[in-house]
This record gives sequence, structure tokens and C-alpha cells, in this order.
Amino acid sequence: MSKIRKLAQASSRDLMVLAIVVTILALVPFGVSRFTLSVAIAALIFALAGIGWNVLSGFAGQFSFGHAAYFGLGAYTVAVTLTKYSISPWLGLILGGLVAAVFGLLTGWISFRFGLKGAYFALATFALAEMLRLTFNTVDFVGAGIGITIPLAGGDDWARIQFEDTPSLQYWVILGLVALSTLAVIGVMKSRIGSMMLAVREDEDAASALGINPLRAKLIAIAISGFITALAGGFYTQSLLFINSDLAFGPLVSVLILLRPIIGGVGTIWGPVLGAGILSVLGEATRSLVRQPPSFLQIIEGVNGLDQVLFGLILVVVIIRAPDGVLGWFRRRRQSRPA
Amino acid sequence: MRKITIYLSLLLSLALIATACVSDAEEETTTTTTTTTAAPTDTTAPAATDTTEGTTEPAGPVLIGSIHPLTGGLAGAGSRMDNGAKMAVEEINAAGGIASLGGAPLELLSADSTGAAEVGQSEAERLIGEGVSAIIGTYQSAVTSNVAAIAERDGVPLVIDVAVDDSILDQGYTNVFRIQPNATSMGAGGAQFLSELAGDEIQTVAYLHDDTGFGVSVADAFEAAAAEYGIEVTTRIPYPPFEVTDLTTEMSQAAAASPDVIVVTGYYNDGLLAARAAADLEVDVKAVIGIAQGAYHTPQFVADFGADAELFFNSNYHFNSSDPKVQDVLESFEAAYGEPMDTEAMLSYQAIYVIADALERAGSADPADVRAALAETNLSDHFMAYPGPITFDETGENVNAQPVLMQVIDGAVVQVLPLDLREAEPVFPGTSWSSN
Amino acid sequence: MRGRLRKAAWAALAIVVAVLLTQSTWWETNQTVFAQAVVSGLLIGGVYSLVAMGLSLVFGVLDIINFAHGALMTIGIYASYLLFDNYGIDPYVSLLITIPLLFVVGVGIQRFAINAVMDAPVHNQLLLTLGIAIVIENLALVLFTGTPRSIELSYARNEFDLGLFSLDFPIRLFGAVITLPKLIAFAVAVLLAAVLYVLIHRTQLGTAIRAAAQEPEGAEMVGIDVRRIYMITFGIGAACVGAAGALVMPFLFVSPTAGATFNIIAFIVVVLGGMGSIPGALVGGLVIGLTQEMTQLFVSGSSKLMGVFVVFLAVLLVRPQGLFGKVQR
Repeated sequence: MSKIRKLAQASSRDLMVLAIVVTILALVPFGVSRFTLSVAIAALIFALAGIGWNVLSGFAGQFSFGHAAYFGLGAYTVAVTLTKYSISPWLGLILGGLVAAVFGLLTGWISFRFGLKGAYFALATFALAEMLRLTFNTVDFVGAGIGITIPLAGGDDWARIQFEDTPSLQYWVILGLVALSTLAVIGVMKSRIGSMMLAVREDEDAASALGINPLRAKLIAIAISGFITALAGGFYTQSLLFINSDLAFGPLVSVLILLRPIIGGVGTIWGPVLGAGILSVLGEATRSLVRQPPSFLQIIEGVNGLDQVLFGLILVVVIIRAPDGVLGWFRRRRQSRPA
Repeated sequence: MRKITIYLSLLLSLALIATACVSDAEEETTTTTTTTTAAPTDTTAPAATDTTEGTTEPAGPVLIGSIHPLTGGLAGAGSRMDNGAKMAVEEINAAGGIASLGGAPLELLSADSTGAAEVGQSEAERLIGEGVSAIIGTYQSAVTSNVAAIAERDGVPLVIDVAVDDSILDQGYTNVFRIQPNATSMGAGGAQFLSELAGDEIQTVAYLHDDTGFGVSVADAFEAAAAEYGIEVTTRIPYPPFEVTDLTTEMSQAAAASPDVIVVTGYYNDGLLAARAAADLEVDVKAVIGIAQGAYHTPQFVADFGADAELFFNSNYHFNSSDPKVQDVLESFEAAYGEPMDTEAMLSYQAIYVIADALERAGSADPADVRAALAETNLSDHFMAYPGPITFDETGENVNAQPVLMQVIDGAVVQVLPLDLREAEPVFPGTSWSSN
Repeated sequence: MRGRLRKAAWAALAIVVAVLLTQSTWWETNQTVFAQAVVSGLLIGGVYSLVAMGLSLVFGVLDIINFAHGALMTIGIYASYLLFDNYGIDPYVSLLITIPLLFVVGVGIQRFAINAVMDAPVHNQLLLTLGIAIVIENLALVLFTGTPRSIELSYARNEFDLGLFSLDFPIRLFGAVITLPKLIAFAVAVLLAAVLYVLIHRTQLGTAIRAAAQEPEGAEMVGIDVRRIYMITFGIGAACVGAAGALVMPFLFVSPTAGATFNIIAFIVVVLGGMGSIPGALVGGLVIGLTQEMTQLFVSGSSKLMGVFVVFLAVLLVRPQGLFGKVQR
């Protein structure tokens, strides 16, 4: 009961923002094409993964370069439990989250006990993700190189989280997951655990001098982080209807996951979602620009790779100009205004 | 803080809506930059979308989607395939378009899968939203699996030009068709060729293959089929195709088993590395044989690898090089795009013609009608080295699709088996280094 | 004392294993393959060392994680290929052009992009260099298409008479094969490592670089233009990896993503050898090359990179400063 009380007293403002944002986002499916909806769904999936990443790397300050490990574990758990044991993906999502959390606790414990920090910790997470990728690519039980295909359910199937007739439902499900996760993050960050994580991020030695157990804080962070990202991975399987080790654990996945929060603002509640929105728009804009350029740029039409060049250039510029992400940029602007 | 976050959430939603406008604006421009021709029936009836333009105007062009990796590590093959499709569309339009639709032209909507499955998925969604009657693609089995699921769900037929995994068509889909031989066909066909080529002289095989679904499925199929011909795969050596920079150790392992032949399955780059390794080691085998190998039947391999490319075999899909009509196509492609046409590009070219044929018979651009017509395809006037017409079974596989055994002889890739497609006598046993 | 004891124990273990190995029947039947794995591992390891050297230098001096390293290698590969294909310049001769070219490119990138994130958190550095990598790779795609090209050196199979003995390529050693391009790549890599080491430790520029690495503020006060040092160092790093690109071009292939495979390996080697250590990069590269091939030999059925990652994790846990690195704060 005390936890709910804490939630209520601490963050009515955050909750209001959450309510507003979710309401606005919930309106998106009305009046847009199926294609736009699928882009939005993909954006939300990676936003969710980014929300998870943000807990460990943003709030707890342990930069992870291998979050694909949790993403992939969630993805494969759903795929295997559905195709081999006919377990509903809803349960599969929870199971995947637990698997990821356990993996995070084990590997985190080993890494932190050995004193891995900063870049070294990041590289270790990367190595773990790669090892999972190589392993899943070889083990027959999870499909090895061939991967696992999710059979089509046909029509709207709540039990199997497939909505052939009403794709908006799929969008709302992932939006719901994003909302729930954000709610959880808000709750955690406002609680004592959250302050512990922030303290550890700022200065681990000072934190332990204050009686905080850094190891415990980091482990809790990694468990929550892994759980949330695994939810995204599980949902990804359901929307892609196919998974293999490269799609689940590939280095590209890790990069895609951390890209969102960094662009939006690391260590902020809304950074991942904002970053996801911006990157989706950016990606689609550059792609469609090269596909159908305005007449004065006719020469760039259909040139393969140009959209990526543009995307990369914009990325470079954004990082240079807004090093704290978009939210950080706004915050700095506000602070520099005369009181 | 409150105001800022409200502004930001508005910004985010605006951003998402902006995406919608961007993509919807595209749909408008695609349907209005078309030449309209009078047609007896209303033929532009795209699949379920919310934003297509009204279909009150006379029949416009028939839209066909083309999804391939135009960027990323496989961009070379992907863009060639897209060009092959483009060329087919241009030729068909030049010849008067689709007669049964009043001469309606085809229009190709090219999309970049970037080699990633979720991009392939959203591009497929986008194309379907723009009203394509059919889609071709995608070169990679993982991407194709996903696009196939989308195609099936949305009722728009997908004609697979290149993607070998059996499992794609094992799902009971009715909207997906494949014109190339699948993994089982590749593996079994390869085993049969080995037996026909050399009879008892080939009894043991060392198999080097990539560890992706592609290599594994073909190798599995080969191993199973080979057993029936008395051929035993004594060693299997998988390798990661996109991470290797050298295959000498693997090739040495393969040779250590003293097999009769070494078989290789994989993509272009790793095939090249394997070939180099074999030549450097001068492996003492009767032949090096590719099965669904991406390199050993291509003019580029011969050009880049030089004299060492001589006598490499490859059992792979191939255009029918002994057909003069095919030679014309090869020449046009090279003239238009400045590089030689490979079989992958020919398969995309062929896929367009298969769809055009279906459109003619359907007399409608509605995806459901096109799908029905595709299921009835019986196209003998094709460009592939298959023994019979292109015709699909109930799972969508091309019944007559089969690989062809080719060999590099005197600097040219020639078909050696089956006998009715033979262009030259195979040289067996032999490798380019054993004749040194 | 404990450290020395531990090292001695490891060495003894290694010797025991080696002796047991050579006495086994396995050795008799597999000598050729084993020799080939060792040879291949060392040869490619030399290239890994060169690639990693540049990265290690950049990390040691500028303290940034450069994810565009593989892309810079790709530039080196393309430059070398284009000079060969269009002007017939031998790839090894063209090193005289590619090295300065990549140096200039490196300086430019540092000056106009990297400089802005020198003090930024690590994730920004990562994303910035990632963005640069995306731009470079896709520019290559736009300009040259994705079709992979490869070349064959006309003299790769020749015999070279060197007075006392002659070398007939490919050389056969215990049943393993050593090809000319790979041997040259290995030799030049080791040579460049030596040159780099001399540069860093025996020249004035090198001293300035080391000063800037250890104490940037102190170095400024003494009159060293630290910003210029950063640019030069990044340029040197780029030149190293560009040279590596030119060296691998003859036996690899030319495509926009050709350098990307070396990116991850480079990071692993840098960690193994110790960030900022040139000898560490050299030894680390060889070790990783060997590990890779040995994994292929002994653990067939899974990717040969698996062994590399296991070693990597082990190093991270047991000795994160690497073989030659100094213990961090």
C-alpha cells in the first residue's frame, strides 16, 4: 500500500503528462494508412526497448551496448513458447521478461563483482549479446540459422496478439505496454530505489559512503531494464511473425535500441519515446525524399544509399548541436533564459 | 517543466502525424502522375487501405512492388534485381502494356529492404497501401519470410524471385509463389547432378557452407538426397558468411578428410574466399562444386578470379544461356545498366513477366484476381533453364524449377547438365590448379 | 611476486598442453590443418594488429570510442582499389598515396566532427562516430554501387629469387600455405607497428602526443597545442587503418561494408592488448587471430568468433587493463 501512496504523492505531474501523451498517441490510428501504422508500431517497439535501456544506462548510469541480449531473449521466449508449447504470447511476454531479468542479474552480478565500469562494462554487454547471437544461431531447439516462423492466426486473435483485421488494436497493445512501462519507471525513479540508482550514477564511491549498496542498486536496475526490453522483443516477434538470431541479438539491434533514448535525452522519462518519434520521422522523411524528390532535386531520385547518407549526416549534426538529446536541448534553452 | 513536456508531447504527436502526411502525400502523387488510358472495367481496386485515391478515373497503370536490399551488404545483388525488374516493365510497356486491361502500362514501385526484416515489412505495408497488385522480392530468406506473411495477411500476391528457404512456403500460404528452386530442390538436384556427372567416382563429399538458414537448409537437403545416390557427406563445416575474412583453415579442414569433391554453399563474397583458399591450398580433390553458390556461375567471378576460376562447378538456378532470346535480354541489360546480368536479376525480370502473364489472363488488376490467375500459371515461354513451363503447385512452389549444373570452361560459364541443356562437355575430374 | 608466479604458472600450463598435443595421435592426423590454423591465424592477426593500433592510439590519446574505424578502413580499401583499377598502380606502391590520404581524412574528421564531442559522454561519441560510419559506407554505396569487386595480383604465384634462397609462392610450411599478399600484409603490419612505436616513443611529436594523453592541461601549459595534437593523432590512427585496408584489398574484396567486419575485432584487440598500447595491439591482434582459427579447429559447428568473445569476456573480467595496459583508476 505504501508504494501506491508514494506514487500518488510524488508524481501527479508526471502522471498527468503520461495521461496526456498516451491519449494523444492513442488517437494516431485514426485516419492513417496501414503503412504509417506499421511504422508507428515499429517506433513504439523500439521506444519500449529504449525505455528499458534507459533504466540501466540512463538512470543507473551503466552504459549498455548489448541490450539486444534482453530484446532477443524476450523475442525467442515468445517464439519458442508459442510454437513449441502453444503458450499464449501474453504469458510468453512475461516469461521472456523474467528470463531476461534473470540473465541480467547473473551476468550483471559477475560483471559488477569484477568491477567492470564504463566502457569496459559496455563492451562486456556487447560481447554477451554477440555470444547469445552465435549460440542461438547454432542450437537446433531454437531454429538455429533458419529461425522460427510464427504461424498466422487469421483474423483478430487476442490470445495470440495478432490483429489481421484491425491493426489499430496491435498499435494500442504496444502503446499500452509503453504506458505501463513508463508508469513503472516513473514509480521506480520516484522511490528510494530510484534515488539509489541516481546516486550510484553520479558517484559510486560517495553513494556507498552514504550507506547505499551500489551492487544492489545496479542489479535491480539491470533486472528492470532487462524485463522491459524483453517485453519489446517479445512483441517484436509477434509483429514480425518471424525471428532469427540476427534479428534478435544482432549488433544493429543494440544500436537501434540505444539510439532512441540518446536522441531524445538519456536519463529522462520521455527521452526514449521522443527519440523514437523523431527517428521514425527522420528515417521515413529521408527515404521518401530520395524516393520522390521535389523537382529541383530530381537528380537524387532513386539513388541507393543517399537516404542513409542524409540520415547519418543529420545524426552527426544532432549529436553535435544537442549533446543532451532533444529534451536536454530544451532544458538548456529554458535555463539560459533570464529568470 | 509541465509546459515543456506538454509541448513536447504535442511535438511527438505532430511528428507522427507528419509521417502520415508524408506517406499519404506520396500515395497521392503516385496515382496522379500516371497516364490514364480508357479501360472497359474498373481495374484499380487496391487492398484494404484507408487512404487511396478514388477509383473513378479510367484504369491507370498497374502497380507492382519490388522489394530488394538496395543498401547494406547485399546492395549489389539487390540493385541488379531491381534493375532487372525495371527492364522487364519497360519492355512490356513498350510492347503495349497489358492488352486485356486496354493496354494499361505497368509501373514498378521499388523499395529498399535495407537487408532488414522489419524494414522489408514496413515497405511491404507501404506498397500495399499504395495499391500494388503484386509484389516481387526479396533475395533474403529472413526478409522474404516476413514479407510473405504480410502478403498473405493482406491478400496481395508475392512472387518470390530469389529466396531459398523451404519454410517460407511451409506455412500454408496461398498468396505466395516462388519461381526459383527451393532448398530441397537445390540440394536434391545437386546430389543428382553429382551422381550423373561422375557416377561412382564421387563417394565422399566435404561440405563447406554458410551458417545462415540458406546454407543450412541446402546442406541438409543435399545430405539427405546424396545418401540415396551412395554419396556420403563426411565433413560439414559451417562458417559465418558475413564475418569471415579468410577461409583457408576451413578449406584445409575440408581437404584433410580426403574427400572426392568439396562442395560449397554460400553467398558471393564468402564463395570467393573459399575459391581463393582452395586455389592457394591446391586442394587435392577431383573437383570443387558449388551448390546454390552465389559466385561460381557469375561472369564477375570469372572476370575477377581469372584463370583460377577455371573448372569450378556450380549447381544453381540459371537463365537458359543456350536460348538466343535470353542472349538478347543479357545484352540489353548490360547496355542499359553497365554491368553483366546475373541470374538473380533474370529471376526478377522473369517474375515481372509471370505477373504480366497473370494480369493478361485475369483481365483485372485486383490483387485477389491476380492471385487466382497466378495459381493457374502455365508459362512455357520463359527465360530460365527449367525443363518445363513455370507452373505452381498448391503451396506455391514452381513445380518445374530445378538447378542447372554449370562449369567454367575456357573462361566462360557453360551449362553441362541436364543433357538437353548441355552447352559443352564437362571436364571431370579437374581443378584449375591440378592442371598446373 | 604473485603476478610473476601467476604468469609462470600460465606458461607452464601452456607448455604442458603443447607437449601433450604434439604427442597425441590427433596431431599426426591433423598436423596440416593445425599448422594452417596457426599460419592463417598469425597472418590475419597481423592485419588485426594494424587495424587495432590506430584505434588504440586514438583511444589512448583522445579517450574516445571511434566507431567509424571500420569505415575508414573501407576508404583505404576503395582508394587502393581505384588506384589499381584505373591507373594500374600496385596496391603496395599506392600505400604511399593511401597513407597520406587517410591521414588528411582523419585530421578533417577530427577537426570538424570529433572535436565537438571530446568531452561529451561516451554514448554521444559512439553515436557521432556511428553517424560518420553510416555516411562513409553509404557514400561508397552511392558512388561505387554495392557490387563487390576483387583483384588478383599478377605476381602472387611467382617465384622470388633473393640471392641466398628463393621464395616460391604460395609458400608451404608444415603443410600450411602462406600466400604472398597475406605475407606482405603481415610483414608491413609489423613494420608499421615498429614505425609507430618509434614515432610515439622516440620522437618529439611522440612525446608531445604522450604528454597530451596523460595530462592535457599540463601539456597546454608547457606550450603544446593539444588541439593540434588531437588532430594529428586521429590522423595517424586513420592512416594506420587505411594502410590496413590497402593491405587487405588484394586478398579480400572491395565493397562498402568490407571494413565493417574488422570494426568489432579491432575493439576486442584493443581491450585485450590494453588501450593505448602499441605493443599490446600487436600482440593482441596475433592472439585474437590465433584464437579465431583455433576455435574453428576445435569447436566446429559454431562460429569461430565465439572463441574470440569468450577470450574477450575472460580478459575483461580478469584483467580489464589488457595484457600491456596499466591498471586504471
